[in-house]
Amino acid sequence: MTCQQMVEILCDYVDGSMPEATRAELEAHLGDCPPCVNYVQSYKATAALGRALPKCCEMPPELEARLRAFVTSAAEQPGA
Amino acid sequence: MADDSTPTGPPLTADRIFREHAPRIFQLAKRMLGNDADAEDVTQDVLVQVIRKLDTFRGDAAVGTWLHRVTVNAALTHRQKRATRQAREANDPMDRFLEDGHHAGPVHSWGVDPERPVLEAEQHERIEAAVAKMPESYRDVYVLADIEQLPNAEIAGILGLSVAAVKSRLHRGRVWMRDELAPYFEEKLA
Repeated sequence: MTCQQMVEILCDYVDGSMPEATRAELEAHLGDCPPCVNYVQSYKATAALGRALPKCCEMPPELEARLRAFVTSAAEQPGA
Repeated sequence: MADDSTPTGPPLTADRIFREHAPRIFQLAKRMLGNDADAEDVTQDVLVQVIRKLDTFRGDAAVGTWLHRVTVNAALTHRQKRATRQAREANDPMDRFLEDGHHAGPVHSWGVDPERPVLEAEQHERIEAAVAKMPESYRDVYVLADIEQLPNAEIAGILGLSVAAVKSRLHRGRVWMRDELAPYFEEKLA
């Protein structure tokens, strides 16, 4: 297995859906390739950093005021 | 957008929808579209749609699930209509290997624990900036899968893709993101 082949199937390795034989082959490659060990660690970190981002935010006050006025107006319209 | 586990609360009103869902609708739209102005347009569009259907929802969980789908669809439609859209070519991040399959450059370790990442303010800004810069074909799936943490099957339903296509785009999005963030996180070790 080359480094490129390892990276191409990394998603299945990380999410645990990889067949056992392929997993063993990939881990054998990792045992012999320090750059790929770093790559796997940084790939996992990338996914983890995404999960660590907040799902919500504070809206800028002016934006919140505009949207609130818009919602109030929309809710008061017939058929709303 | 409330989680599915959120118990049914007081009656749904326009004011309650705004307070509980507007910030998250805006955040999701902003991550998909990359700027405040477009995200505001989409948030307005989504809020109008949900207010018109208020009496058809049977609880918070139904609203939360529905809002994900409506927000993503509204963002995709907005993107298509955007007259000044800048086409971003999605260079395949898998191209960064030598002909013999080895990495084209050195690969250093990151100072990030994948099990317990801690986001400092500067890191947060870096990652948000990278998301905004990510090619759109990867960004939609990356935002829904890794940030919103929706199951691949649900993302496939929302975007009209196969689950295999979702996994492929998610993988390429992560590889692109890894390459984009690598200079920053590798430098942190220096």
